[in-house]
Formats: sequence, C-alpha cells, structure tokens
Amino acid sequence: MKLFALALAALLPCLAASSDADSGKSLGSPSAPIQIEVFSDFECPACKGLHEQILPLVMRDYVIPGKVFLVSREFPLPMHPYSREAASYATAAARLGKYQQVADTLFLNQVAWSASGKVWDTVANVLTPVEAKKVQLLAKDPSVLSAVQHDLDAGRAASINQTPTMIVTRGANRFPVAGAVNYNLLRSLLDGLLK
Amino acid sequence: MVSSSRVFRAVVLALRVALGAVLVYAAWTKLRQPWELFAMSIDAYRVLPYWAVLVVARTLPWAEMLIGLALMAGRWLRVSSTAASLLLLVFLALMMRAYAEGMHIDCGCFGFGDAISARTLARDGGLLAGYLFLTWTSFRGRRKAA
Repeated sequence: MKLFALALAALLPCLAASSDADSGKSLGSPSAPIQIEVFSDFECPACKGLHEQILPLVMRDYVIPGKVFLVSREFPLPMHPYSREAASYATAAARLGKYQQVADTLFLNQVAWSASGKVWDTVANVLTPVEAKKVQLLAKDPSVLSAVQHDLDAGRAASINQTPTMIVTRGANRFPVAGAVNYNLLRSLLDGLLK
Repeated sequence: MVSSSRVFRAVVLALRVALGAVLVYAAWTKLRQPWELFAMSIDAYRVLPYWAVLVVARTLPWAEMLIGLALMAGRWLRVSSTAASLLLLVFLALMMRAYAEGMHIDCGCFGFGDAISARTLARDGGLLAGYLFLTWTSFRGRRKAA
C-alpha cells in the first residue's frame, strides 16, 4: 500500500487529459505502449488480492517506468449486495482525486464492511469532512451512477463474467486475463508484448 | 439400399472429423494468443507446480493440434482417439473438481470467456463420450480385422 501511495504521488503530474485520466481512475502515462484495464468488484476476495499484491508490483515495474497505463473499472457483481454502493463512492471520490485512497481502504477493510454493510463508514475514514460531504452528494449524482454502469456495460461487452479481469491492450491486440494471476506469468506476458 | 454398416461407417467418419476439428480449434484458440494466457488458465486450477504449468502451457496446444489433425486425417486412430479420450478425461475431472469447490475460473478450453459452469461440464462430458466412442470403434475395427 505504501508503494501504491508513493507511486500515486509520483504519477499525479503524469495524468494527462484523456477521458480516463479525467475520471481520476487511471495511473501512468496515457501514451504508454500497453494499457491495462482492471475490472474489479470491491467485495470480491480475488480483487483484494490483485489490488494489494499484484498491482503494486505492476506499478513499480511498468506504470512508473511509463510502460503501462493502468485504468480502474467498476464491475460490481450481482451476488455482492454492497459492491455497487462501494463502486459509486469510489467513483465519486475519483472526481476529487481520491480514488486510490478509497479503493485502498475498501479492499483493506473488505471483510468488515461486506459483513456489516457499513460501506460509508469505511469510505469516510480516508476523507476530510468537506470531501466526505462532496463524495456523499456525488455518489448519488446521475453522472457518477452512469459512469459505474458504463464500466459494467464495457465489461459485459468484453465478455467479462468474473472478477478481477484485466484487459491488456497493446496496439490493436486485446488480451483478457481473468482471476487471480501469478505475477511471474503476468510479467512474462507484459515483457513479451513490450518486445 | 444402403447397408447399416455403411451408415455406421459414415457416422463414425463424420464424428471423427468433427471431434478432430474441435481439438484443432481448441489448439488454435490457445496458439493465436501469447502462451502466458493459457498458462494463467492452467495455474488458476491450482493443481500443478509452476514449472509444470509452464511445460503444459507450451506443449498441450501442440499436442491437441496433432491429435486433432490425426483424427481428421484418420491416421494412427487407436493412438489419437485414446489420447483424445484421456485428455478429455483429465480436463473434465479438473473442471468438475473446480466446479465442486466453487472456483470461479475460466475452463481454459476455448480461450477467454468460457467460465466453468454446468453448461461447460455438459459440453465436455458430451465430447468425452464422443472420443470414447471413437476409441471403441478404432479397437473394435482392429478386432474384427483380426
């Protein structure tokens, strides 16, 4: 998590004016040769594993060196009662540049809030009172709700049926990677695509 | 009038070509993508050590291609149909184990988006029945000739 936070701070100036960058849910340079879209569900245990164990390594080895542009997408599964609410708060927080902090805390405390349903209490912990007020309002904003739905629709259009799923894009080639991944295999894939 | 043995032979031929084509297609979906994607599918089952995942990911699609082409061409029928049956038997056993354990993973059979479900189990069960039938006919033909 510390690495992820450091990486985020280092990358803030790199966020360019693409639509994904505007949404506050992307990291790295949009002109990077590879784009990885991560479709995840905040209540999914495998997504927690990807977020906490694999993505920090991807950040260190590929995003920070400018080789990968990482985009987060929401894919709340119907079987998880609070994941859409969590996705709305995270997407709202992204409008204030707080997506990573909210995503970090949601995954860190996943077991607790997915059992209690206290999603907002978890999110509010990483926001100032002013930010919290804005996020609560934004989470009900039609544009935020439709942004979550847009991610979901994009995932369905890409035949995604499980989380997490990463869509690795290099030029015209798109490679879906589903489930918990072995980092050695992911690294081999990315290095092969970069050759 | 067409004899029943000619009909039987025609059915076996059609089945052999169709089931051979299924294996060739399965191999093609894997070979047209970076090998790491198939390796990740194998790794998701959590039954093989990492080194074995690498070996299987790099060799299995070629084996599927070879067996499929042999079936379609009608060459080495006893070996190719037995190998296809064994392959499907292993695939189906692994898929049933993953399904029983509630693992939400892709089956890795025909590329991405083929999550293990009752439908995929029924499909692979049907394929296994087909390959077993071909195996039986290949050995039956040999016994008759003898």
